Amino acid sequence: MSEVQWPWQYNFPPFFTLQPNEETRKKQLEAWRDLILEYVKKTKTGIVDVQEADTMPLFCNAAISRKLSPEGIQAVLEMLHQKGNAEPVDKTKVRWYIYWHTLSEWADIMYQHAQENGLVNSVCTLYELINTPDKEFTGLNEEIMIKILERLQKDEKAELILSDDRSGSGVKFF
Amino acid sequence: MKRRVGVGAIHKQKLEQEKYKDKGSSIQENQLEQLSQHLNTFRDKLESFASEYKNDIKKNAQFRRHFQEMCASIGVDPLASRKGFWSMLGMGDFYYELSVQIVEVCLATNYKNGGLISLDELRTRLIRSRGKSQQHQEITNEDLLAAAKKLKVFGNGFSIIPIRRGQFLVQSVPGELSLDHSQVLQQVADKNQAYISVSILENELNWTSERAQRALDFMVQEGYAWFDSQSPVEHLYWFPSLFTECMNADKDSS
Repeated sequence: MSEVQWPWQYNFPPFFTLQPNEETRKKQLEAWRDLILEYVKKTKTGIVDVQEADTMPLFCNAAISRKLSPEGIQAVLEMLHQKGNAEPVDKTKVRWYIYWHTLSEWADIMYQHAQENGLVNSVCTLYELINTPDKEFTGLNEEIMIKILERLQKDEKAELILSDDRSGSGVKFF
Repeated sequence: MKRRVGVGAIHKQKLEQEKYKDKGSSIQENQLEQLSQHLNTFRDKLESFASEYKNDIKKNAQFRRHFQEMCASIGVDPLASRKGFWSMLGMGDFYYELSVQIVEVCLATNYKNGGLISLDELRTRLIRSRGKSQQHQEITNEDLLAAAKKLKVFGNGFSIIPIRRGQFLVQSVPGELSLDHSQVLQQVADKNQAYISVSILENELNWTSERAQRALDFMVQEGYAWFDSQSPVEHLYWFPSLFTECMNADKDSS
């Protein structure tokens, strides 16, 4: 796991206050988007819980005593949602899936991986996929992996075989 | 003396006045002629000087500055026109090129500073984007100021705000800054920090809190300043254009 590259904004105190000026807020949210996607990619974070978010270094810079408010986090997540980079786990919108690739990008990446590695027409387990060494999806959150495979299933490029014990679940690529 | 009355006397007075007038204008003409002769000689001398040291003017930043200063002290602007003998200097071209590069840098950094950039940051970025040869590197702040001033012809979309001795901000978005607004920027720079608050303005400038608040709200509204509600003491207003990490940041790493 490599280090997160913190952008200059992370040390800029007002970055953690939702900006009243619309134009500035747009720039602010864009910078947050870049930072969040960089962060979840480097730390392999799959789910952000709004209620626990102020303990994450992502939303809280202790060095300058600033943290993003729950409203701020909500605004950022809604924006990510619009761009296809996030999705609430359920209607409460407390827990959110974060995708540094959108689901359709992920689906392409997984399918290409299956083709290049002779996985087409054979069954492999979720555990195997997630633990493939040195891939971008290595260590990816299981629930997100299932979402990606479900999307491939919808396109008839894969079939999911779900078991109660999620890691035991498997997939067959077509 | 016998008092002279009647039509004849009035006529005579009138005639005398006219004669005085004639004499006056002929003296004036004389002086003007002399002056323009002086000017012509001077122009010739300046021309031959300029052409003789053409290369030095182009290449040597210090020499260029002295030459500019000399011209300024006698009220000649070598950049005022591309026509005439100045064009052969290529001096105009030098500054026109700089002006274009200044606009480029301002546009490229607008996304993070909202259209305000310090002259120092502008210079660093501009030099980085120019070629590597020595001639391209020797750009002084004076050169930039001279070039930036030329951009005023495009209206109020471009201006230079002095903030401290020898320090300037270049504003590249339309909208005139009032004296109050410039003073806010000066205060920020004076503190050598990137933020300011209502109470700082009250103390330093003897402003009422309403006046300070109004000026700061304007800075936020125009996108020059960011609002920070998390300082334990009071609300702060931050200027990315004066925030060191922002000044050094490149697009690809942000």
